[in-house]
Amino acid sequence: MSKTNSIIEYIEAGIKVESLRQKAIATNIANLETPGYRRLDVKFEELLARALDSPGRVELSEIEAGIYQPKQTPVKSNGNDVNLETEVGEMVKNTLRHKAYIRLLKKKYNQMELAINIK
Amino acid sequence: MEVNNIFSPIDIAISGLRAQGKRIEAISSNTTNIHTTDAGKGEPYRRLEVTFKTDGDGISGVSVDKIVPDMSDFPKVLRPGHPDADENGYVAMPNVDLPTEMINLTVATRAYQANAAILKRYQQMVETTLELLR
Repeated sequence: MSKTNSIIEYIEAGIKVESLRQKAIATNIANLETPGYRRLDVKFEELLARALDSPGRVELSEIEAGIYQPKQTPVKSNGNDVNLETEVGEMVKNTLRHKAYIRLLKKKYNQMELAINIK
Repeated sequence: MEVNNIFSPIDIAISGLRAQGKRIEAISSNTTNIHTTDAGKGEPYRRLEVTFKTDGDGISGVSVDKIVPDMSDFPKVLRPGHPDADENGYVAMPNVDLPTEMINLTVATRAYQANAAILKRYQQMVETTLELLR
């Protein structure tokens, strides 16, 4: 095991979190009108940033991407705090991040392929 | 709402969508209650107005500040048979003016569309940047 994390590990962790967050958004939108439902969010970036501040290798699999209820948004009369616009915005952001990670991963693989094909 | 990263235009546009959505909600309440002569407090329905405020200094989103009742006078119409009529036969009607509400609805809808357009355009911009990674 090397002392630092490889780029691929970071990208892998990012993509995993993105799909988890997409699930949370889908759940929120599905429960748009469910009485008493509070929206879900995924906490990962803050945990990653804190882990990266500590020296040496970071065990990415140990950073648990947690689903939590922020309970910050205003609650509607039926006790539900999901807002469709907010969820759409989160989805747009999530999609863009996902796209960026996928492109970076592809770039990395292209680089490796280039190294393999050198004669 | 914290605004500090590459996605801040998205957050700002979403705050605009939410604020305009609230405004449309108030307009729909006003329009629905245009003939509500008894709103429970012994007076007819009072039209509601939504006011906005910025989320912070400098570049920031918008949020709903207050939902305030319009304190202008109620128009009175002569309708002696109406259960809410006074001793002279006049009924106080809600201070909702339908043409005003319709114009406000158009303005709010256009503002909503403008925010949606910004969101879409910014999404395309980020995608253009991501094309560079191909």
